[in-house]
Amino acid sequence: MPRFVNILIAFAVIIGALFGVMLAAYVLAGFAEAYLLEYVGWHGGGHIVNMVVLMVTVVMVIATLLTLAERKWSAFMQDRMGPNRARINLPIIRNSALGGLPHIATDVVKMLTKEAFRPATANKFLFNLAPMLAFAPVFALFAIVPAGPTIDFDAGLVKGVQKTVSVIMAPSNPDFGLLYMFAIASLAVYGTSLAGWSSNNKFALLGGVRAASQMISYEVALGLSLVGMMMAFDTVRLAGVGGMAEMQSHYLWSVHIGTFDLGIPQWGFLLQPVGFVLFFAAAFAETKRAPFDSPEGESEIVGYFLEYSGMQFGMFMIAEFVEVVVLSGVLAAVFFGGWSLPFGQEWLANQTFFIEHQYLLGAIYGTVFWIKVILLCYLQLVMRWTFPRFRYDQIQSLGWKILLPAGLVNLFVTGALILLDPTLKYLALFGLLEIGVVAAVTLTSPKQVRDHEEHHGHAHDAHGHAPAVLPANTH
Amino acid sequence: MSNPTHGHGHDALGTKKELIERDLRERTFVPELLKGIALTTKHFLRNLFGERDPNPEVIDRKGLSTVSTVQYPEEQVAYPPGYRGLHRLVPREDGKPRCVACYMCATICPAQCIYIEAAEYDESDTNAESRVIEKYPKAFVIDELRCIVCGLCVDACPKDAIRMDTYMHTPSEYTRAGFVYDIPKLLKGPPVTHPTDPWFKRGSSEEPDHQPMEKHTRIGDGVPGYKLHAGASIEIDHSKPVAVTKFLK
Repeated sequence: MPRFVNILIAFAVIIGALFGVMLAAYVLAGFAEAYLLEYVGWHGGGHIVNMVVLMVTVVMVIATLLTLAERKWSAFMQDRMGPNRARINLPIIRNSALGGLPHIATDVVKMLTKEAFRPATANKFLFNLAPMLAFAPVFALFAIVPAGPTIDFDAGLVKGVQKTVSVIMAPSNPDFGLLYMFAIASLAVYGTSLAGWSSNNKFALLGGVRAASQMISYEVALGLSLVGMMMAFDTVRLAGVGGMAEMQSHYLWSVHIGTFDLGIPQWGFLLQPVGFVLFFAAAFAETKRAPFDSPEGESEIVGYFLEYSGMQFGMFMIAEFVEVVVLSGVLAAVFFGGWSLPFGQEWLANQTFFIEHQYLLGAIYGTVFWIKVILLCYLQLVMRWTFPRFRYDQIQSLGWKILLPAGLVNLFVTGALILLDPTLKYLALFGLLEIGVVAAVTLTSPKQVRDHEEHHGHAHDAHGHAPAVLPANTH
Repeated sequence: MSNPTHGHGHDALGTKKELIERDLRERTFVPELLKGIALTTKHFLRNLFGERDPNPEVIDRKGLSTVSTVQYPEEQVAYPPGYRGLHRLVPREDGKPRCVACYMCATICPAQCIYIEAAEYDESDTNAESRVIEKYPKAFVIDELRCIVCGLCVDACPKDAIRMDTYMHTPSEYTRAGFVYDIPKLLKGPPVTHPTDPWFKRGSSEEPDHQPMEKHTRIGDGVPGYKLHAGASIEIDHSKPVAVTKFLK
């Protein structure tokens, strides 16, 4: 079978799996909500199911697969094959590498069976605490991200009464939404700096100090970059009706072809391109991945987890990948329309089949959300394998001298444009203008020709190697 | 160089480098970063969807994929002509080794990895071919772990009895003893026969039945005007003291 057919089948399997999981999530959350409410009198059964399905299952599975994807995708980017030697000796798949999937199992077994070594002079309590402190906040970040729309679920007869409940596809939907994210994200610095300090190792300490200063510096820009979005939608909530994800599903301009609708939705990156870039850069620095991986700096200081081994190191590693997924989720929810489609939303919602079975509509939107998350994960990975690492002073000057002033300017411009036009049309036009300028600059920027081979260099030998482009009066 | 934004220099290879003032569009980095992502993504998509050409000749590969990996045990790059590979003892047409146990290879071997025990063919050996060469190796052992693959044994052999033309390297073994190759392991490959081989009976003692296939030449043969420097010597005048260079402290 040709390779591209295999790849397309793999895509279809992934999308189908996501659809199935989201379908199960909606149905289970709906029943849990209805039955817990009726029998225990307790709201929030749906949130518990969402926590199990979204956070523990989907986020963790994607993060686990990313450990493989990091190596396999980077291999493709660098014209290599990637891991394909671990194979399972079963009848049909004996000689198939399965795209490297068995390497995940070997990795897990390796991590779990390796000795978790602790240096004799390390602070035992903090040394053991640090991986948990690094992992837990990152994991908890996903709690406010909506993976699908809020729907009405018909749970059938409960205690003899026809029961319809509202299902919010997010583990939690507090009023303080994004503020929770900022609060929890700033806790992650404890894990890394404690890991660096408690190891009693100079290099680990250096990594911990770098991590602490980098994460604290970028928190300012991180918060500032989202204020524009908060102003535009007049909310800090992500999930639920009136949350950022739901607001982005509305059109700014739209046309109808028959009953099919098509238009420009008010997605965050159209309204706030600068805010998106700032948030992406700041959040990328928070994940401590390349090009912001100087706390890790494997080529010179190994990093804050230098003394960790076994699953304690595995916690740091998986925390990094979970952070990638969570950041993708937040990016998708805040800047890329959450679960919404850029076309056909009203048409889809008006189909009688979907009006009767809203959970199917929710599952479709949930699948759209996870596809966006996977694409944004790819974006983060491709950035990690494209950009060289920033030097430490460059990281600080980028954060304080570029991101922070740009965030402030963006704030004022956004505020002025929202004041001028509360329907956000001016803001969107300005955003489109910014995107157009970047696109034009990118397409017209000169080709990099740094090393000129001197084609007629012999003519210049008499008076030194003068480059041909130099005017004569410079001699 | 009066203009500070222009300069030039030479790198180690002598290539001329021009330090052109960077375009403002480049100095903002964002377009360049986007271009970098586009380039990486292009490679990613080509290698994700493209079928890898399994042809081990890296230069000749075709198709969408730019992966140049050779999946080693399954795919192998052919060794170039003249590759010094694993030894073999060259057999005669009758399957016995051409070796006459002269110890030339064992003597020249700088790693001393060849061990030979000589034996004589019996006078009454019915095989005439065997009788004319009298000696044969009872044991011929090469320790492939000691061998440094220099090829001197092949050069030294007067009988073309040892060659390294197997075009394979020493395969891996589970024990060190496995690398000690004896005659059954060494004696392989196509048999070789030369017209000067002694078992081709001569009609008379004047000249061989068969004309030699290769013409043996010496260095300089056939080069016009080339003559060996016969009797050349360095003249030393013994009447004068020989000049000695003194080194001062």
